[in-house]
Amino acid sequence: MSCHESLKLVPDYFDETLSLQARNALEAHLQVCADCQQALADAKSIKAHLRHWQDEPVPQWQSVPKQLQDKSAPVKPRFSFWGQWAPLAGAFVMAVAVMFNVQLQVEDNSFTFAFGSNAGIDAHKITAQLAQFETVQRALQQQTLQELSSQIENRQASNNTRLLETVIEQFGDSTTRSLEQVMAYFEAQRQEDLRRMQTSYQRLADSDFQTIRSMQQLANYVQYQGSQLQ
Amino acid sequence: MSSTDQDEALISAALDGSARAWERLVKRYESRVYNFSLRLTGNQTEALDLMQEVFLGVYRNLHRFRGDSQFTTWLFRIAHNKAVDMSRRKYMVTSLSSLAGQEQSDDDVLDHIANDKGAQDPQRLLSAKQSNAEIIGCLDILNWEQRLVVELKVFQSHTFDEIAEMQDISANTAKTRFYTALKLLKAHLEHNHELS
Repeated sequence: MSCHESLKLVPDYFDETLSLQARNALEAHLQVCADCQQALADAKSIKAHLRHWQDEPVPQWQSVPKQLQDKSAPVKPRFSFWGQWAPLAGAFVMAVAVMFNVQLQVEDNSFTFAFGSNAGIDAHKITAQLAQFETVQRALQQQTLQELSSQIENRQASNNTRLLETVIEQFGDSTTRSLEQVMAYFEAQRQEDLRRMQTSYQRLADSDFQTIRSMQQLANYVQYQGSQLQ
Repeated sequence: MSSTDQDEALISAALDGSARAWERLVKRYESRVYNFSLRLTGNQTEALDLMQEVFLGVYRNLHRFRGDSQFTTWLFRIAHNKAVDMSRRKYMVTSLSSLAGQEQSDDDVLDHIANDKGAQDPQRLLSAKQSNAEIIGCLDILNWEQRLVVELKVFQSHTFDEIAEMQDISANTAKTRFYTALKLLKAHLEHNHELS
């Protein structure tokens, strides 16, 4: 029967980081425990057996990576001065170009820079295009609104008829006069619903045109800034 | 110049693009890494593959080596990770078990020797290969985790704390794996009447 201490003792014996106190305790236990002495002797014997391994020579292999063979470039991913600052400088130049509206005009034998010209952004042209777009959109929306209204009107009329039929069925003894009153009430409700719906659609369309107007204002502002710089 | 200083000088030169410095750095450790790979994989082809992966990993991460630990510790951490990757990829344990079933004939060993360009003494190498094949056969009875602990403890002389860190386990778990591996090896060797 083996000592349960050997589970801890054997690995500890091979642990070089074991404290002096723990090692002394281990040695003291070994003095009195034949099982642990045997377990340790076995462990040492196995280790010695494994250590009979004789290193084999390394076969021929390509030890230098291709990257290092092809180019004698450094392995370390360190950037040179320009490699480090070029992206930042590029971003700065782009920002300046955008800020001052720089234009580069390349001709056959020369090139010219222009600062602050608003020729790149033709505000009048943009305004005209936006106005045209607005007109087309208004016409389209008006048409869509009319179609929607007529569809809703038809559907409601059909619903009203069905409701009326149900009412007649339920109250067979109703007079013609009371039916006329019900019809008049339905008609009033229908007109009111239509009016509310048209108002809502109109608000929706107005918000779209508000966006277009904002774009026009932006175009005007750019044109104004351009003229100030000139 | 100490071994650590030499390593650091070679690393620095290799980082500056010196292929020669890199080659010298590899030469210092390739035998250890190759034999580590051979014990884990059990055959020359896979050992070469693993060694190449290890040194490629070292090359790619060389700029990350800060010198906080010894270069060998860092190197074998990479070697350990590559070995684990390889075992996952190729189900190494299974393939090794099938290899262990095949007795390596003298002809196979001689073929290997013929392929070894650096072989100086064929007789000695033949004896080494036969002895090593028997050790690989012993290690083959262990599962992959036990085998790695034995490799790192017995052959690489790492502390249990280092092994625990590499394998992302506690030191006590590493010790338990080591103890279990020793018991299995003892039973195997007794069965083969090889343990004195």
